Amino acid sequence: MTSLPLARRRRGRQVLRNTAVGWSFLLPNFVGFAVLTLVPVGLLFYYAFTTWNVFGGAEWTGLANVRQMLHDASFRTALVNTLYYTVFHIPLTLVAALALALLLNRRLRGVAFFRTVAFFPYITSIVALAQVWNMLFSPGYGPINAFLRGVGVANPPGWTTSADWSMPAVIVVGTWREMGYYMLLFLAGLQTIPAQLYEAAKVDGANAWQRFRAVTLPGLRPTTFFVVVMLTIGSFRVFDLILVMTNGGPGQSTLVLSQYIYQKGFVENQFGYASAISIALFLICFVITIVQFVINRRGSDS
Amino acid sequence: MKRSIAAVLGATAAISLVLAGCSSGDDDEGSAGGPQTLTLAGWSFATTPEFKTLADGFHATHPDVTVELKEYDAANYDTQMVADLAAGKAPDIYAQKTLKNFYTYQNGKQLVDVSDVAAALGDKVGGIANYQADGKTWAIPYRQDSWVLYYNKALFAKAGVKPPDGTWTWDDYATASKALTAKLGGPKGDYEHIWQSTVQGFALAQTSGASIESGNFAYLKPYYDRALDLQNSGAQVKFGDATTNNLTYQAQFGKQQAAMMVMGSWYVATLLKQQASGDADKFDWGFAPAPQLDKSTTGTSATPITFGDPTGLGINPKIGKGKEATAKAFLQYAAGPDGAKALAGIGITPADTDAVKDTFFQLQGVPQDDLSKFAFTAHDTKPENPVSKYTAALQNILSDLHTAVMSGSKDVNTAITEAQNRAKNEVLNK
Amino acid sequence: MTLLEAPPLDSRVSLDPPRARRKSRYRFLGYAALIVAAAAILLPFYWMVMSSLKANNDVYTIPVQWLPDPVVWRNYLDIWQKSDLTTWLRNTLILSVAVTFLQVLTGSFAAYGFAKVRFPGRNVLFLAYIGTLAVPWQSYMIPQFILFSKLHLSDTLWSIIALQAFGAFGVFLMKQYYETIPDELLDAARIDGMSEYGIYRRIMLPLSVPALASLSLLTLVTTWNDYMGPLIYLRSRDLWTIQIGLKTFVNTYNAEYALIMTGSVLSVLPIAVIFLLGQRYFVEGIASTGLKG
Repeated sequence: MTSLPLARRRRGRQVLRNTAVGWSFLLPNFVGFAVLTLVPVGLLFYYAFTTWNVFGGAEWTGLANVRQMLHDASFRTALVNTLYYTVFHIPLTLVAALALALLLNRRLRGVAFFRTVAFFPYITSIVALAQVWNMLFSPGYGPINAFLRGVGVANPPGWTTSADWSMPAVIVVGTWREMGYYMLLFLAGLQTIPAQLYEAAKVDGANAWQRFRAVTLPGLRPTTFFVVVMLTIGSFRVFDLILVMTNGGPGQSTLVLSQYIYQKGFVENQFGYASAISIALFLICFVITIVQFVINRRGSDS
Repeated sequence: MKRSIAAVLGATAAISLVLAGCSSGDDDEGSAGGPQTLTLAGWSFATTPEFKTLADGFHATHPDVTVELKEYDAANYDTQMVADLAAGKAPDIYAQKTLKNFYTYQNGKQLVDVSDVAAALGDKVGGIANYQADGKTWAIPYRQDSWVLYYNKALFAKAGVKPPDGTWTWDDYATASKALTAKLGGPKGDYEHIWQSTVQGFALAQTSGASIESGNFAYLKPYYDRALDLQNSGAQVKFGDATTNNLTYQAQFGKQQAAMMVMGSWYVATLLKQQASGDADKFDWGFAPAPQLDKSTTGTSATPITFGDPTGLGINPKIGKGKEATAKAFLQYAAGPDGAKALAGIGITPADTDAVKDTFFQLQGVPQDDLSKFAFTAHDTKPENPVSKYTAALQNILSDLHTAVMSGSKDVNTAITEAQNRAKNEVLNK
Repeated sequence: MTLLEAPPLDSRVSLDPPRARRKSRYRFLGYAALIVAAAAILLPFYWMVMSSLKANNDVYTIPVQWLPDPVVWRNYLDIWQKSDLTTWLRNTLILSVAVTFLQVLTGSFAAYGFAKVRFPGRNVLFLAYIGTLAVPWQSYMIPQFILFSKLHLSDTLWSIIALQAFGAFGVFLMKQYYETIPDELLDAARIDGMSEYGIYRRIMLPLSVPALASLSLLTLVTTWNDYMGPLIYLRSRDLWTIQIGLKTFVNTYNAEYALIMTGSVLSVLPIAVIFLLGQRYFVEGIASTGLKG
């Protein structure tokens, strides 16, 4: 009879101790994070409902910014373009990064060199990279179209100078640039899979594909989850790549949300409206991320 | 283990000390009288000497005032300036780099009323009206660029095509460009840079009744039709090739890749410098008034219509009261005849061109022909960005129109209709 | 199939002749594929290097010139005189090392709290971390700048350190990695009387070398390549980093493309060297420390 409250009290004390220990781990990072990031981000939730112009004047306008967003065709275009980029960029990068990681996680001669090479696009200055890709894609003089004409394509696409092909061109470059980055994370993830599991699978007669399905993929789950979440957030926030490659054009064919936010804020000085769009972008990202969390948790429980 | 935690805590404490510790306020120095220091914002000092010229010139006439320069990034000038103003740490005097953003600063109450300076200067200073709002003047222009037509005399002679004589309309320009391209067999007749202003600036300035704020962009059509025709006939590099290959107008004209180019008057100083340094070929060139819409404004007896935005100086309201008068004196100097002479001496087009014609044409390498002199002084320069609260947003829409039309993604009529709808729904009727 | 084969951590595979021959054929194909891929990936870098060796007006031409003619080595001397490259590199190095150190240290520390200590509110807090990742920086740049200015951080190197060092990225990455380390291992240590800090230090850190190495490298590269942060916060010339220096160099000498490319090549090289030297750490972790799964 007396043991029940005692156990509860003990558990209570345990929770308290855990909380203290947990917070002691978080604190060094959390102090910096809360002051330097969380506070300014929190302010956005206020500015989103005002006509803030950065110089101090912020007049509360309630849902006016939201209403404006609903009727803003350019916002819709930017949203659709962002989704277009995201839907293609995530799976392509995921597969390319995983394939590279598997390929380079072996004892091959020169593997150090190849790993470095795969990482090169990510460290190369984005200005130089946009420059080169734009020249490769150049409709009249670029090698890509020269090749296409060579194999008999009469009217090769205009790539970054055509409204229909500019987004595919940007997706290709985005994937090419980031695959080395995520490859690195997969390489680290592959190290967490115990070698014994592969040996056991081999003993059971599993072929390479079966081993990949039964051992590698489940073993990589936490890494894959991380990569997918980061890719999602990264794709929704894509900014500098588009800025240097097409600057949103031609027309509005590659206008994306973060660029639209920059335009509305810094160019047109509607920081209140820009904040509202940021919150919309944040909510979209956040909902998708939570769904990913839930799916991930369900997967790891089973 | 304990030590590493201590280290972390120590580092955190150190940082928070830094955060909290050095919070001594920086007070405004300088009451009236005695030595004073003004701070002036500019950009790219290595290639934009005008700020130093003005600072030194002012110091020479006001020995107890030192003008200290603060360098900003040329491409991100307004972003940095907005941040600094918002945080209250911007310089005393800052340049209005483009007219497009003037409304942001004026409406955001980030400019001191300088109507008294404007009154003292009188109406000799070009472009001052652009900085007026609510019946007051908020910035003073010290330079006023205008767009002119640069041409390569050597290439014209080689092709045997009659060079510009001040009577050209855009149709004459197009005819000459095609003839040049055919005869030269290599260099193009003209180069049209990728900026929207190369088409829209002229269309807006030269078409009577045209206005951005009207939301009616039909006035752009003839200008786009001509640009597309030149591009499709091969008389100028295609827009898509110019963007994807990052072509620079300096190299296109300076390296004789094109025989003609419309460009702002700032290019005179650049070309002189590049010819001297070897970055540009050495060839005989001149500049003429920009081609006109019709014959009514051509010929040396008329005043050609062109466009160009002034560059102005404004005063930060956070300036100490004691320094405001000094800052106004600086503005008056910069826009007045002394400042204009100093600027012309380094190849800059000041707001008052008539007063400095002689100084300007004494520069080493400036073309000496009469047409160039005429083009330098005679022009009715309309603003590229007429000041209004809608300008920035509408120019963004027109920029999308420009890239869509010039890349061939949309035909002119569709693009204009779409831009008009966007202007109506997203900006004007918001 | 080569693509999908599991990592052969035991290199002593059986060597019966036919399999070996088939294996070597695969190996050859694998190399061929790697070399083609490497060439494609390196193309822009190749273009950068070639441009840096060109005369200025040969950089942007129609059609593209793939080989410099004549080869101009002077660019690699000129750039040191025309720019403050030494200062830029030094600042960037200081920032990158400081940020990486703080990010890895505080990030992995916090990640342990999130991954292995159960306490109420943990998940909500973690979501707040991830949430901020989803807000574009441009939108809260100005409030943050005002805050930093009030703290007298702007226009000091501290601003960039503060900006980058406490990001959510490192916490998230390390947490994911720690979750792959079985709780049983920790419970055993707890029963042995080890404190949570001891577990973090003696068990988690040694086991997470590949993740720590990845995080270090990614943080280093991010800081190295950051442009907007230094652009907004660092105004004094002697504080400039390599990216902002290069960009200003571009604006100042906007026609000097060959020199700009020289600068770009030099800005990439240090990272490439660090990667080449450190890359073996990314693939040596649990497998070599002999953890039983």
